[in-house]
Amino acid sequence: MNLLKKTMLFLLLCLSFQAKAQNNAYTVESVPNVHLENKMRYVSNPGGLLSQEACAAIDSMLWKLEQKTSIEVAVIALPSIGNENSFDFALGIFNAWKVGKKSKDNGLVILLVEDQRTIRFITGYGLEGDLPDAICKRIQVKKMNPFFRNNNWDGGMVSGIQAVCARLDGSMTNDELNNEEGGNIMFLFFAAGGFIILLAFIGGIASWRATRCPKCKQHKLMRTDSKLLSYRHGVKREEVVYTCQNCGHKIIRETESSDDNYRGGRGGLGGGIFLGGLGGGLGSGGGGFSGGSFGGGMSGGGGAGSDF
Amino acid sequence: MKKSVIIAITVIVLIALLGSSAYNSMVDKQEGVTKAWSNVENQYQRRSDLIPNLVNTVKGYAKHEKTTLEGVIAARSKATQITIDPDKLTPEKLQAYQKAQGDVTTALGKLLAITENYPDLKANQNFLELQAQLEGTENRIAVERGRFNELAKEYNAYIRKFPRNMFAGMFGFEKRPYFEAEAGSEKAPAVEF
Repeated sequence: MNLLKKTMLFLLLCLSFQAKAQNNAYTVESVPNVHLENKMRYVSNPGGLLSQEACAAIDSMLWKLEQKTSIEVAVIALPSIGNENSFDFALGIFNAWKVGKKSKDNGLVILLVEDQRTIRFITGYGLEGDLPDAICKRIQVKKMNPFFRNNNWDGGMVSGIQAVCARLDGSMTNDELNNEEGGNIMFLFFAAGGFIILLAFIGGIASWRATRCPKCKQHKLMRTDSKLLSYRHGVKREEVVYTCQNCGHKIIRETESSDDNYRGGRGGLGGGIFLGGLGGGLGSGGGGFSGGSFGGGMSGGGGAGSDF
Repeated sequence: MKKSVIIAITVIVLIALLGSSAYNSMVDKQEGVTKAWSNVENQYQRRSDLIPNLVNTVKGYAKHEKTTLEGVIAARSKATQITIDPDKLTPEKLQAYQKAQGDVTTALGKLLAITENYPDLKANQNFLELQAQLEGTENRIAVERGRFNELAKEYNAYIRKFPRNMFAGMFGFEKRPYFEAEAGSEKAPAVEF
């Protein structure tokens, strides 16, 4: 009984230590980038500040926004970042994750820090026009801070992101998706074409080499006669006689070939594998619920922040 | 005789190849520094453009703060007179530029400090948004200055390393000055809004 009590105490101690460790300040490196694992997730919520329902609601809003406009938004809610400046922290995340599409720099980072009681937006270069600093500030002051003041993190974040989406909806069009798919198909097309050309080239070289006469070194060998040796399971063994057109030298080669018309046994197995391989390659072009990554956007430090 | 000619030609060709690749990458890096400088100037310009609007808004509420308002206007006009050609950027010119822009920062800080005494002004939506823009611009200035410094330092280190230092001297690639950290200018000024 005593031992059990001691173990329980020890376990409790361990748990409390772990809780303490979780309350420690996050750094730019220690914030998990959830978008990498699942491209439909945008909210990094390691401290559990936001509820699961709120995260799901935000994820679905931001997924729709990205589909429509290609704008990428990363939302981060943290209990503490220590004494780090919230602007430097959010910009650090922006640059580390490279939020936004590369050519458009249309990323947005939204950082909520509980113990500093501050909310911070960082816009990419390409979003500065559609979401100017004054609008960021207005959204924070009017849509988010009233909730945050009462520690209603869910309410403030959902309402703020609704406002952001309403502002950005229709601001740009998403031409990334089509380009990407087009690129994939084109790539496959060229890869397949290149493969076939390569095969033909190798075959051509092989047959050219086979016409070389060992006596006069000229490529003048021609097939003049053949004799069937055996025919089993669709495999034909032949003795072929080649005669050089230049010096009249004769050589005999044994060849083995499979009959295409033969059905049964091992016939056609090679072809089956080849077709299967190609089909698999084509199939993997589709996405599914795989991990995503932000596109490589840059920020010049635009946006706004406010304390509540 | 013939052998030595061949060797001489090979050496010359090698040096030319080495020199041209060093030259091209020095040009690229120098272009990067020039572009970073124009980004810095753009952000300072953006701040300059905000000032008249800000001053007018404050004037409507705080007529008695004439000296402070005039201080901002004076600092701004002084700063806008200094324009720098990035290819002729010298440490003295950069310091003068930095000093003039620093004076604007100080004057703006004073202006925003006195607005604390005018609750009506602080509740004005237009003023709030101007403040947000100003804060965002100060952040952008800090970011672009940091990037300019990074690129200038990288370029300086690049042209001074062997063997590129020989080509750099030959083609006139000079060291570029960068922003020195002054007290309070390293980060955006802590203006409490």
